[in-house]
Amino acid sequence: MSEVLRGLVAPFAEIAGNPAFFAEVLIGGVAAGLMYSLVALGFVLIFKASGVFNFAQGVMVLFAALTLVGLMERGIPVPVALVLTIGVMILLAFAIERVVLRPLVNQEHIILFMATIGLNFFLEGFGEMLWGANVKRLDVGIPDTSFKIGSVLVNRLELTAAITAAVLVTVLALFFQKTGIGRALRAVADDHEAALSLGIPLRTIWTVVWSVAGFVAIVAGVMWGAKSGVQFSLSLIALKSLPVLILGGFTSVPGAVAGGLIIGVCEKIAEVYWGPLVGGAIENWFAYVLALAFLLFRPQGLFGERIIERV
Amino acid sequence: MNDGGPLLEVEAVSVRFGALMALHQVSLQIQRGEILAIIGPNGAGKTTLLNVISGFYQPSEGRIRFAGADRTRLRPPDVAALGIARTFQNVALFKGMSVLDNIMTGRLLKMRGNILTDALWWGPARAQELAHRAAVERIIDFLEIQAIRKTPAGTLPYGLQKRVELARALAAEPQLLLLDEPMAGMNVEEKEDMCRFVLDVNGEFGTTMALIEHDMGVVMDISDRVVVLDYGRKIADGTPEQVRKDQAVLDAYLGVAHE
Repeated sequence: MSEVLRGLVAPFAEIAGNPAFFAEVLIGGVAAGLMYSLVALGFVLIFKASGVFNFAQGVMVLFAALTLVGLMERGIPVPVALVLTIGVMILLAFAIERVVLRPLVNQEHIILFMATIGLNFFLEGFGEMLWGANVKRLDVGIPDTSFKIGSVLVNRLELTAAITAAVLVTVLALFFQKTGIGRALRAVADDHEAALSLGIPLRTIWTVVWSVAGFVAIVAGVMWGAKSGVQFSLSLIALKSLPVLILGGFTSVPGAVAGGLIIGVCEKIAEVYWGPLVGGAIENWFAYVLALAFLLFRPQGLFGERIIERV
Repeated sequence: MNDGGPLLEVEAVSVRFGALMALHQVSLQIQRGEILAIIGPNGAGKTTLLNVISGFYQPSEGRIRFAGADRTRLRPPDVAALGIARTFQNVALFKGMSVLDNIMTGRLLKMRGNILTDALWWGPARAQELAHRAAVERIIDFLEIQAIRKTPAGTLPYGLQKRVELARALAAEPQLLLLDEPMAGMNVEEKEDMCRFVLDVNGEFGTTMALIEHDMGVVMDISDRVVVLDYGRKIADGTPEQVRKDQAVLDAYLGVAHE
């Protein structure tokens, strides 16, 4: 009994005992959280515009990173390679709209979802075919070293990633919340026919949104790639953004941010302070438990649209 | 452009789905400012005709002219841009959005061209949003749906959803408004309201309207002219009085003894 009690209380004593270390953990959590947000954002954009969960988002991140590294390996300077990668992702968006989405207008969402699963496997194979399957190092010129603010240790790479993610997320949130296009997106997601009849150009909207999602994938790919190398497991971080989406709501850009931060911070704290008590590796499943608990109480997420069911 | 000619001309339009002729050589005109009712038994091709006019179906044969200009092969968003708005047989509202947002989407065409500058230019973008909001509020007052402004559209009773759909179509300030069974599934009171709104819209804004309706009482009351379809062919076209006495129409509705 006293064992359990000590287990529950001791971590709090630890937190109070070393606030500087706690701050480091917190910063690490926020940084990781913003990176999750970045991936989740790609999902939200496409979900908002088509009501479809894009299974291929994670692979798009991998594909973007692979393309960038592949180009750099061929001696193309970073800025040029970056612009080329953006071009590739926009081309990809056009191709997806033309080949996958356009023939499926007005189909059930589940059918579009299946299509994105197909897309997932295609992109995975295509990426490997083009650039090979080896783990690649991505060096964007930011050293993976730390410096001190007061007594708190901060990692340069993580800080850069966090700031980039924060800026991108803010810009996109404003763009989609405060402009007519946000309303058009929601309209398209709700009812293709009605949106068309109001003069909303479905194809343009889809191409724009998939391009933006591709761009977000590049940023996420670069940040994650620089941190842990460009390899197949990169596509699995998409799974990590699932709980983020459940927490934040599938349709909300600010939700993706809030969800990412909550997950990032909670799982870091849980891992560092409570992890040792149960033998570690909490980080791998904590987010999903959090998401499950959330589903019970607020299935639409923190900022999602109300779920309406007329009986 | 406003030459007094018909607003919309459908010339010998046929629509074929495989072996099925949904529309067969249908010709009709919609005059400026009139309310035209399209009637006919189930499966007569009424909704197909509306879908052809609004660009959802492409005609297999024939031509469609709007305000004198040929526009046979346009897609729905282009048709909308020309000033043709429509409602759907099974209400097609954006269910998760509020009534206000639903109606605001009707103004998207009027905001076009600003999609990208919107995000950068706070002042003008906001002023524009306010102007559109004012226009939408006028429509909300007009259709007497002030109280449900903030309600998610999907939670409304059916009759009100139909009214919101009409509001959304009106928000585009169309020249031609196509209504697919605007009164289906309504009770007598709701039908009377809807009739009043249709007549008011026509009277106040001069909006030309074509509507599909099954309730003959409604059709005879509000329409200037009636077109009757049966098995994809036009079998009558005239004033309500003429159509009411037309033998072909009576046969189509009541059946005719084949000997």
